[in-house]
Amino acid sequence: MTPSTLEALVMPKKAPKRVPGEKKTPVKYTEQDKKTLGRLTGLADGVVLAAEKNREPHVDIPARTLSNVHYSPKKKIIEMGGNTNRRQLFNLSQAKSYMQTLLVATGCKQLIDEGKTTSIRGLFYILKHTIEGTKEETFSDQAECDPIIEDVEVALEALREELHVYASNRGTMVGEITLIDSGDEIDCTRLGSGGYSIPSICEPDVIRFRKCDAKFVLHVEKDTVWRRFNEDKFWRKHKCILTHGGGQPSRGVRRLLYRLHNELKLPVFCLLDNDPWGYYIYSVIKQGSINLAYESRRMAIPDARFLGLRSKDFERCGLSKSVQIGLNDTDRKRAKQIAGYPWFEHKKEWQHEIRQLLDNGFKLEVEALISKDISYVTEEYAPQRLREKDWLD
Amino acid sequence: MDDDSALTAAADEVVDGGSNGQPSSANGSAPRRRATAQSMAASQRDISVSEFFAKNRHLLGFDNPRKALLTTVKEAVDNALDACEEAGILPEIWVHIETTGESRFKVGVQDNGPGILKKTIPMIFGKLLYGSKFHRLRMSRGQQGIGISAAGMYGLLTTGKPVKIMSKISPRKPAHYYEIQIDTKHNKPEILNGRGEGVDVPPGEKGREAIEKLGIEWIEVNHGTRVTIELEARYQRGRGSVDDYLEQTAIANPHVTIHYQDPDGNAKSYSRVAESLPPEPKEIKPHPYGIELGRLVAMLKDSEAKTLSAFLSDTFTCVSPAVARRICETAKVSTRANTKRIGRHEADALYKAIQETKIKAPATDCIVPIGEELILKGLHQVVPAEFYVAATRPPAVYRGNPFVIEVGLAYGGEPTAHKVSREALEELLSQSDSRTLRQFLATSFEGLGFEAADRILKEAGLKTRISPGKLKKQSIDKLHEAMRNVNLSSGQSMNVLRYANRVPLQFQAGACAITQTIMQTNWRAYGLSQSRGGLPSGPVTVMVHVASVWVPFTSESKEAIAAYPEIQKELRLGFQAVGRKLGMYVKRRQKVKQEGQRRAIFLRYLGEVATACSRLNGADRERLYNDLLRVATKKTADADLRFDESGQPIIDEDPEEYGENVLIVDRQNGH
Ligand SMILES: Nc1ncnc2c1ncn2[C@@H]1O[C@H](COP(=O)(O)OP(=O)(O)OP(=O)(O)O)[C@@H](O)[C@H]1O
Ligand SMILES: [Mg+2]
Repeated sequence: MTPSTLEALVMPKKAPKRVPGEKKTPVKYTEQDKKTLGRLTGLADGVVLAAEKNREPHVDIPARTLSNVHYSPKKKIIEMGGNTNRRQLFNLSQAKSYMQTLLVATGCKQLIDEGKTTSIRGLFYILKHTIEGTKEETFSDQAECDPIIEDVEVALEALREELHVYASNRGTMVGEITLIDSGDEIDCTRLGSGGYSIPSICEPDVIRFRKCDAKFVLHVEKDTVWRRFNEDKFWRKHKCILTHGGGQPSRGVRRLLYRLHNELKLPVFCLLDNDPWGYYIYSVIKQGSINLAYESRRMAIPDARFLGLRSKDFERCGLSKSVQIGLNDTDRKRAKQIAGYPWFEHKKEWQHEIRQLLDNGFKLEVEALISKDISYVTEEYAPQRLREKDWLD
Repeated sequence: MDDDSALTAAADEVVDGGSNGQPSSANGSAPRRRATAQSMAASQRDISVSEFFAKNRHLLGFDNPRKALLTTVKEAVDNALDACEEAGILPEIWVHIETTGESRFKVGVQDNGPGILKKTIPMIFGKLLYGSKFHRLRMSRGQQGIGISAAGMYGLLTTGKPVKIMSKISPRKPAHYYEIQIDTKHNKPEILNGRGEGVDVPPGEKGREAIEKLGIEWIEVNHGTRVTIELEARYQRGRGSVDDYLEQTAIANPHVTIHYQDPDGNAKSYSRVAESLPPEPKEIKPHPYGIELGRLVAMLKDSEAKTLSAFLSDTFTCVSPAVARRICETAKVSTRANTKRIGRHEADALYKAIQETKIKAPATDCIVPIGEELILKGLHQVVPAEFYVAATRPPAVYRGNPFVIEVGLAYGGEPTAHKVSREALEELLSQSDSRTLRQFLATSFEGLGFEAADRILKEAGLKTRISPGKLKKQSIDKLHEAMRNVNLSSGQSMNVLRYANRVPLQFQAGACAITQTIMQTNWRAYGLSQSRGGLPSGPVTVMVHVASVWVPFTSESKEAIAAYPEIQKELRLGFQAVGRKLGMYVKRRQKVKQEGQRRAIFLRYLGEVATACSRLNGADRERLYNDLLRVATKKTADADLRFDESGQPIIDEDPEEYGENVLIVDRQNGH
């Protein structure tokens, strides 16, 4: 992760010693900020009230677990259920995370008060300090902090960007579109070999679409494949937008795909590895993830299509045996799990696809196609699938 | 009696094998005959017990100079206490040890007892195997009639100085002053002063002048005895020291006051916590159960009774004529049979019949246990702890001798290593004869094992193998620091105080039935940790008292108790009785401690939470903090509570909960 200059600014060496209300420069709150601040204050009010009444304070956090998400066949997305987990201060196993939850809230308030945003890493540094009178740190590492940030998001029903926090950029875009990012015009046909780095916040106040000649979006799994397509100028030939998400696509990438799909009415095709992980990425793009189920409604693209690779491609494309990678036990377990997802469960073609993967006993990376010919994937495989409408839904 | 003959047998062995370093007999395989029966007969002669013990001083507890000092003090103090109790006097004892030269000490022990008649003084202090306690079955400290004369003999052998005795039986009568030495060849006293007659010291003012003139050491009492013995010895504090012995004596004898002055002139007193004497133990006859066949035969021979029935009811306790008749019937021997005519076969039948006949347990008033209440008092006075429990078992019988087992236990509190002052530590170091610092730590402090010693040394940053005497000032500082700081209660092993008829046993722990039974008991069930077959660990002191009309020691030096199954069984039951109550206490304490830790965890986050909230909504931080603190205290109220077995909180710790004979000392919530 590369710390931005902003991050450097808000990264204090020690615990923030700022008194609330004492602001260096008066900041104009947006309407959204005011709403978020109200929720943050409400969190603290609950504690004060409980303490005054001699009761144990707690926060209820919507459960981000498999048991608390369900698939809505009507909306075709994963939605979060109403279950919450109660986090209590006076519970040995929860006391520390309770304190951390409130700390994250203060960090967000501070950011809003100062009109700044920071990365989740930046927030971690803002909040990390030694607890008074002990040798214990408030957070030992970022891995301890990240889930708490997500807890605060769901507990306050505030999105990450509404809390002035962003994740690091991941994912790249190139193709027949011109957009405006924070006032700068970006023509995505003229970005050379590197492409446009998709920011973690892709809300309309940051990114606006200016002009679009693309007819669809091709999303590939990772950088290496994306580069092949970019080098061969696939997007120019086929009038499309080319993205990748570096594996599991970040929220920014998913949000951008969602907006391209919904605002510009572009169909989204995914070209992913032929393995459980590839299926899972497709599933997340299409229906949403369990962990971020509360974001599904602004991110999931139920109409996204799965272009490949398919279990039948080894034979269909006449690949050499040496590109096979054997399935391991976790792969097999994951594959069966995915076959049981409600949105795959009743789709014959998907059941067949996954069964064939298991029967094959091996997985295939998109790069395997290169063994046939370096541009096989861009010149034959993808165009042919698109032409023949040979995809999975 | 048995023990008597055992001594003689041992003596015979020495005579046989030891005389000229000659092999005792030609045993066939010897290539050349070195001595003939005739030549050997020339060197065979009677040896006196004194000679025997002079050569085998280890049998009496004089194996090394340090132990010699302790044994001398011990024999004199034991006698003083026995005498006072027998005469019905609350004992007050003075023990003075004075350095008189390099590795030479003068030990003076005085009591306020009945005093000794002029004519018996020389025999008591100048003849081995002379005493009033051997030929009777009655609970007392001394039993063999060797103790004090052996100490005197050791003094004479090592310094050439006689034993000095001053004794007075009444304020109006003259006191007697003797300087005596034992004639080891003939086991006979030799009186050195007053031209072989001793000196009489008149009562009153004149006497005081005489005492001054003769240089007699004497503390003014109406009656009492003072023994002074000069001997070659070594004084060293720590385990097995005179200091330890006196302290332990105070625990088991809460009715005794002891004034002690050590060789460095430090004075220490243990004042009595009980104002009445233990009831007088009665003399009894042996109980028939467990009498060995050989002893039965010997008794039949010695008996003056006319008939077998009379023999049985006269010789033994708990045998009425009716019981005697039943024994005879079972043995198919006539009640009127002549005891002298009882053959081996009939004796055997009698022996079996005794075991088969139901005979009531011996009278218990011949044994005077310390009692649970006084054990608690005694332990509490000397051993700092949080929890005390005591159990006195009902009397039982081994080999026809009634005995009682008593167990006291003290748990919690600081180990001695925590309490030692910087000065005392320096002194201990300079006196120590341990080769390494590690050994010094492990042997000088009660309840501190090698493991704890290692941890202390690590904390102090000192090497384990340095010699204790060579420690520099700075290192002593570090060591002292570490001894106070290192948590010793983990890995600290149980401190075992053993007693026989109220006398502390300080040596041969491993050979003693008490230690062995402690190790065989499962203390883990009572909340202590214990490795298999070892002593349990933890801040715990156990005192065990074996009281009997005849304590079965493993040797004449009276250091370890023989492992009779009956004794071991009673010991086990005693440990279980105190163990159960200890278990309850330990469990409660753990619970309270856990709650305390819970609270500490909540408290550590309260400040952060209060600060965070006040930043979020501007609430008053201090007020919020105090409110939260109140909730936390309520939530962990258990930390202030104790629990009964079913987990119900007890509002005020109530020793009644544990049943009787438990003492709980609140040392700030047990933390
Ligand atoms: N301080 C004393 N006051 C009165 N009598 C004493 C005193 N010391 C010893 N005696 C008498 O002298 C006797 C001999 O004492 P000694 O210590 O030699 O043997 P013991 O105490 O009978 O047995 P043990 O050898 O087990 O000590 C005692 O039995 C006792 O009657
Ligand atoms: Mg004696």
